[in-house]
Amino acid sequence: MSYQVDEKDGYAVVRLTGEVDLNRSPDARRVILDCLQKKMPLLVDLSGVDYIDSSGVASLVEGYQLSRSRQLDFGLIGVSDAAMNVLRLARLDKVFPIYASLEARLKDTR
Amino acid sequence: MDTLKPTELPAPPQEAIRLVHACTQEGVDARDLGDIICRDPTLAAELLRVANSAYFGFASEIASIPRAVTVIGQKALRNLVLCLAMRDALRAEQLPAFPVEQFWEAALRRAVCARCLASLVHLDAEACFTVGLLQDFGLLVMFHLMQHRISEWRRLHEATPDARLELEHQLFQTSHEQVGQQLARNWNLPTELGIAMGMHHAGTPENTPAATVQLCRVAECADWMAAVFSAEDKRLAVRECRRLLDEHFGIKVEQCDGLLDQVAGHMQEAAIAFGFQVGAQPEFGEVLRQANMCLLEENLSFQEMNWQLEQILRERDRVAAELARELELAREVQRSLLPAEGGETRGVVGLNLSAREVSGDFYDFYRLHTGQVAFCIADVSGKGMNAAMLMAKTSSLYRCLGKSILDPSRLLAMLNREILETSIRGMFVTMTAGIFDPESRVVRLANAGHLPSVVMHDRRLVREYPADAPPLGIVPEAEFPGVDFCLEDHSLYLYTDGLLEARLAGGRRLEREGLLELLARHSDAAPVERLQHIVAAVRGDSGVMDDDLTLLMIEG
Repeated sequence: MSYQVDEKDGYAVVRLTGEVDLNRSPDARRVILDCLQKKMPLLVDLSGVDYIDSSGVASLVEGYQLSRSRQLDFGLIGVSDAAMNVLRLARLDKVFPIYASLEARLKDTR
Repeated sequence: MDTLKPTELPAPPQEAIRLVHACTQEGVDARDLGDIICRDPTLAAELLRVANSAYFGFASEIASIPRAVTVIGQKALRNLVLCLAMRDALRAEQLPAFPVEQFWEAALRRAVCARCLASLVHLDAEACFTVGLLQDFGLLVMFHLMQHRISEWRRLHEATPDARLELEHQLFQTSHEQVGQQLARNWNLPTELGIAMGMHHAGTPENTPAATVQLCRVAECADWMAAVFSAEDKRLAVRECRRLLDEHFGIKVEQCDGLLDQVAGHMQEAAIAFGFQVGAQPEFGEVLRQANMCLLEENLSFQEMNWQLEQILRERDRVAAELARELELAREVQRSLLPAEGGETRGVVGLNLSAREVSGDFYDFYRLHTGQVAFCIADVSGKGMNAAMLMAKTSSLYRCLGKSILDPSRLLAMLNREILETSIRGMFVTMTAGIFDPESRVVRLANAGHLPSVVMHDRRLVREYPADAPPLGIVPEAEFPGVDFCLEDHSLYLYTDGLLEARLAGGRRLEREGLLELLARHSDAAPVERLQHIVAAVRGDSGVMDDDLTLLMIEG
């Protein structure tokens, strides 16, 4: 897994790529939490994720929970099929705000 | 302090320098030289004293200056004058807090070393002695100009030549070579002496006359030879000294040690001749013993380091063994939380295999007072000890609450709240909980983010029941809708993702289709055997698993 952090339109966008598994999810967790510690609204781009296991999902859940407690916007964008299957099976597609892209999030008035 | 102004330098000993240059003129008459010398009665007396000292070792007494000029020779006389003049150029009064005697003792040791070396390799002994004595004169000038650095003298004195040069750069932003070279120029000292003073560390440029190059090499070797006696790191000094003497003059270890053996004896002689105060001189044998002792200590500390390392490794093994025992205990506790292996309660059987010492998976089933059977399967996110602890907590809660809350939807909602209260690091639990009535064959299920439950009839898939709610521990207000169905003569399978991700022989993952195929293939076997067949198919010969694997079956 690799990751990249960009700032765009007031959002921190964390792009995760490759396999987000037990060995790599600590990195994903750290980068997600770092952004939220800086009080930045956050979108996690999962378009490049080939595989995500429950530890990877736990990193997203932790980000989601922290953002709620800090009243920061949090969402997933460009979720790949592989990641979407995992989220859907666990019904997490109904928990995480999911958007096609950053632009889609900006247009959404939720 | 890159360039010194001439005015900053001490005043040159003019008379002596004039004499030095007179000595270098060709065809100069001994009597003329004698006349010049006699103009300075102090110098004349000094010269006579030195000429008659054991240092020169002439058989008969030299009673007059013209005689001295004849006996010693023009060139040696020049060097003698130079040494005496430089010795007096900076007097102790000009450096009140500086141990001038120590400086000259060190300089004299270099001079003696240079002279011993010159004799062995047939170079001009007096010229080499002079270079040895004066090669570090720049350092004395540096202390004269920066007297606040005087406290650093000891460090410089005890450093090896290369370390000393580096330290000088740090302390003075220049070196004794640079200052010495400049001083030689400003004082109009003989060219070869100036080069030797300025380039005995740095090395000479290509066009330097061969004799001067030799002088510089002698100076460099003399520096290291003297360091054998003065440097703190004697072992390094001895090693480098032997290396340099071999490199520059082809002198082997025995000869090198022989040279160093002579130094102590000649020091006293030269000190008396030139009027220097020197302390008791250490013998080379003693120095070598010290150096070897250092080596021995180093070897000892190496041995000690080995012992320490062994101790650390033993400690590591002890901790690892302790950890393994702790993990085994944790595993035992976990096993105690699961139903007995191969146990069956009215058509319900289960099985759990953990990939690690501890597992994040679990299943449970037990008979209720109503005659129904409560069952569940769950998977904690992540792996390792934290997953195992959350598993222990969830399974205990399930056992405890499950006996009084008979509705799976309400039970999951209650578990969700309990887990959320103490949730850490985004950890969550996927769980399917259910109640089976063996009389009516009705099953009531609720699924919190867990993989779909599968209902099979013989070899045919009847239906799947996917999650209708998120896992436990994520959303406080989540609801967990239940579903009722009659199992009749069907079989209900619940499993964790470890089963779908397990690899078949050939490396392919089982996946959903593979599971359905396996379930169909073994549908005729008795419940316990059926589970064993399935596990055997994914464990293969190696028995190695990537993930925990749990499987629960309810036979309708």
